[in-house]
Amino acid sequence: MATDREVLREIWEGKLPVCFELNQEEVNDLQAPEPYYLIVPRLSYFPLVTDKVRKHFVKYIHPDKLDAEIWLDYNGTPLKWHYPIGVLFDLNNSDIQLPWTITVHFDKFPEEELLHCTSRETVETHFLSCLKEADALKHRTQIVMNMQKKDHNQLWLGLQNDKFDQFWAVNRKLMEVGGEESFRYIPFRCYYKDEPCLQRLIKPLSESGCRKTLSQLLEELNMLQDGLSQLKVTTHGIEPPLDTPLQWMSEHLSYADNFLHLIVSSVG
Amino acid sequence: MSDSENKEGINDSSDIPKDADVSSENSENITIPSHSGDSTLQKKNKVDIFLKATANAPIMKRRKWTVDHDKTIAWIISFLRKYFKLDSSESLFLYVNQSFAPSPDQVVRNLYECFGTDGKLILHYCQTQAWG
Repeated sequence: MATDREVLREIWEGKLPVCFELNQEEVNDLQAPEPYYLIVPRLSYFPLVTDKVRKHFVKYIHPDKLDAEIWLDYNGTPLKWHYPIGVLFDLNNSDIQLPWTITVHFDKFPEEELLHCTSRETVETHFLSCLKEADALKHRTQIVMNMQKKDHNQLWLGLQNDKFDQFWAVNRKLMEVGGEESFRYIPFRCYYKDEPCLQRLIKPLSESGCRKTLSQLLEELNMLQDGLSQLKVTTHGIEPPLDTPLQWMSEHLSYADNFLHLIVSSVG
Repeated sequence: MSDSENKEGINDSSDIPKDADVSSENSENITIPSHSGDSTLQKKNKVDIFLKATANAPIMKRRKWTVDHDKTIAWIISFLRKYFKLDSSESLFLYVNQSFAPSPDQVVRNLYECFGTDGKLILHYCQTQAWG
């Protein structure tokens, strides 16, 4: 089970300053609205923090679009609401200046690029599904499935209301190794170049029982053609050392969905 | 979430057998036995999927299909919607491991690599949410 509680708290408290601007082409008023500033948790999802943003801008748009679903873009790239905010930031990290300026749209929903999100329930369903998938990778006997509905609610409300203790009181059960030395497999999603994210079965221990490290994960994903020194791995805005054990990473650096989200990029 | 898929289903009324990406029973791909190892399938960049009906979902005449490994869950859902000629108001859900619903933008290969058994990926489909 996760023991370095300080690390868990640091990760939980990761925040990003965001400046939301309404898409200029959608301004239907003599005066353009002021931008809207928010500090948002890295572990959260945009639909959970943008109610006020919507309310702020909705007065300035064409009345036909009052009920439209909002969507966001950074620098022309639509932002996927089903990725945690911190992942979206780290994916664009190299050229973002703070505050992170994001454009808000009510019109021209990019059907090809984004999934619809009609309510918070859509996010909840996605979040629980990710938890179940991660659980299926980690444990022989699944834990989430045997939890009560109130435990699911507690995880979800903990995330939604940014309550560390509430979330971790239940999440620690998901991070237990259940009598084994480690998880069965490490739940991770790896983002490299513009490819769809990569998921593979990777065990936290080698055949001889040694703890595998981040560099061994890269090796198993066949990413080391140009050598270790050419790659950089980012998560939560930091670059964990490549000799960090995977099991420890999974327990401490996973997002709320219980997945490690690793952004791999080439150096230089 | 399913709006875009619905739209696609309505607009594209092409017959399923003509769909070039899904190999039919009689095509050359069927010569790949389902127990063929990962290497054979990966060389061809194909994945065997096995579609199983759950609850009251309609049954498919054939359940094993071979699809390109970079196809998404949204694509498979859209394929099933066309196959069953579902109305846009009817929903369809896909589950892996009888436990979780993969994200529509998830690619089949990731699921096959992590949850495939005996050279194929089993996907359960149903018209009501089965496993929450």
